[in-house]
Amino acid sequence: MTTAGWIFLVVSLTSVWGLAIWCYARVLRGGDIEPPPDSLGG
Amino acid sequence: MADQGHHETHTHPERWATRVGVILAVAGSAVGLGNFLRFPGQAAANGGGAFMIPYFCALIFLGIPVGWAEWTMARYGGRKGFHSAPGILGVIGKGAIARYLGITGVLIPLAVSFYYTFIEAWCLGYFWHYLTGGLGIDVNAPVAEQAATASTFFNGFVGNDTNGLLFGGSYETLIFWIITFAINIYFVFRGLSKGIEAFCRWAMPLMAVAAVIVLIRVLTLGTPDPSTPDQNVMNGLGYMWNPDFRALANPQTWLAAAGQIFFSISIGFGIIINYASYLRKKDDVVLSGLTSTATNEVFEVSFGGLITLTASFVFLGVTGTAAAVATGSFGLGFNTLPVVFAHMGPFGNAIGAIWFFMLFLAAITSSLSMYQPSLAFFQESLGVNRANATKILVAICGIGSFLTIWFTKDSIFWSTIDSWVGTFLIFIMAMVQLIFFSWVFGIDRGLKEAHEGAEIRIPRFYRPIFKYVAPLYLIVVFIAFCYTNLGSWIDGVRQQPAAQIALGLILAVTIFLVVCLRIGEKRWRAAGLDLDGKFEPAEEEA
Repeated sequence: MTTAGWIFLVVSLTSVWGLAIWCYARVLRGGDIEPPPDSLGG
Repeated sequence: MADQGHHETHTHPERWATRVGVILAVAGSAVGLGNFLRFPGQAAANGGGAFMIPYFCALIFLGIPVGWAEWTMARYGGRKGFHSAPGILGVIGKGAIARYLGITGVLIPLAVSFYYTFIEAWCLGYFWHYLTGGLGIDVNAPVAEQAATASTFFNGFVGNDTNGLLFGGSYETLIFWIITFAINIYFVFRGLSKGIEAFCRWAMPLMAVAAVIVLIRVLTLGTPDPSTPDQNVMNGLGYMWNPDFRALANPQTWLAAAGQIFFSISIGFGIIINYASYLRKKDDVVLSGLTSTATNEVFEVSFGGLITLTASFVFLGVTGTAAAVATGSFGLGFNTLPVVFAHMGPFGNAIGAIWFFMLFLAAITSSLSMYQPSLAFFQESLGVNRANATKILVAICGIGSFLTIWFTKDSIFWSTIDSWVGTFLIFIMAMVQLIFFSWVFGIDRGLKEAHEGAEIRIPRFYRPIFKYVAPLYLIVVFIAFCYTNLGSWIDGVRQQPAAQIALGLILAVTIFLVVCLRIGEKRWRAAGLDLDGKFEPAEEEA
């Protein structure tokens, strides 16, 4: 693999993982939604 | 005065149980075979690492904003009592034109499910075969013979050679399809929180674990054959990731990237617009939408981008891998990779089993999401309960899937549905949604609605992207797509009776959905619902 290939690989992986980790960290810090009534529905 | 408030169109409103649950359900809908099989092929054929430039552009300027628009419209429509695309788009687009265009949001997931569960059954079947001894590929035979063994097995398993093949012999594929369909119906019938969400909450992490196991095996392959030292993991990664910047000058590369993002995130599919409609006004959609997209990207880039072509290259080299890419996603997944697993030594079958089980999970989390929009539509248009809506769904899917599994010769039947519904109509749906959101509902109103309950703000520069850039991007991609494909698709329909039958099925289903919508309109007006979005939703109770 070339140096440029490594750069694209590392930048791409860092970007998607970084975004996902940041998002889930915010989600888990934030509030949850109101749970449903306890029925199957319909 | 019409009741514009939080009025349900049927009894027992459905709701997600947890925030992570709805995020994983939407992500599960998006993560599918395409992440592992389509993405690497597209990247390798369009500049390798350089492909990531148009890919991330398409993600930022098309995928993410269209996703946000869908989540927002869905929640707004849900607050008006609608959980299917016709009802929701009727509210957003303020009238019957939008409402009837919204039928595409039910037709797409319903029709795609006819063949998607068939493909899902292939994954389950291959998993079973790998668990019980593999496909019979002889690694000591010439590679061409190994490929022929894999191909013969595949053609027999999916019935490529002749119509009706799978309704004879051992009925093996049919049995796997029945099991697959039954699992889908079971979880969909159980409802959002106890069915789909509960399933996705363990299926998604399990999928990730399976992907990591296969990834570790692939990255530790080293140089399996000392007589071909160039066929090693590093060169395999380089095949996928070394950039060819000349590809950036080719418009086809930018179109391929936009298309990959588009289909990968499952926008315009009628699913997000259903799933997010069960959220309440104070439930965030901006961070949730971004998180589910990010989850999809993790699977695509880190697993799809590192496993498939690397494994292929290590055993088959440049020529073999290039040939595999040229056969498309299914050729790569079901013909090439079995040869690769056969070369992985004593644990090859175990890795093969884990791989196809992972693909099965990826497929089923997607197919569950394809049934739910139709269920919601039948419930709210016809006023039936979930049990009866499920019966209608099973009847329609039974007919559709029966025809798909009968007309298997050369895959013409299902690939016709895939082209016209799973590709062409999705572009239409996405454009319709975005234009109604940005131009009819209004971008300022849309952004205000998106920010209700939002935990992060949409950056200001997205305003012109929603209104001008994304629609233009989408229209350009659509026109180019039609220019490249429409001629051959129309020729295919003219020449192939199976393709004509497939389109006839789509037409019949469409007519049925239109009839349901006509009934629904009457019911909704009688119930005093604000079908045409004339009023703001009433405030919800605390």
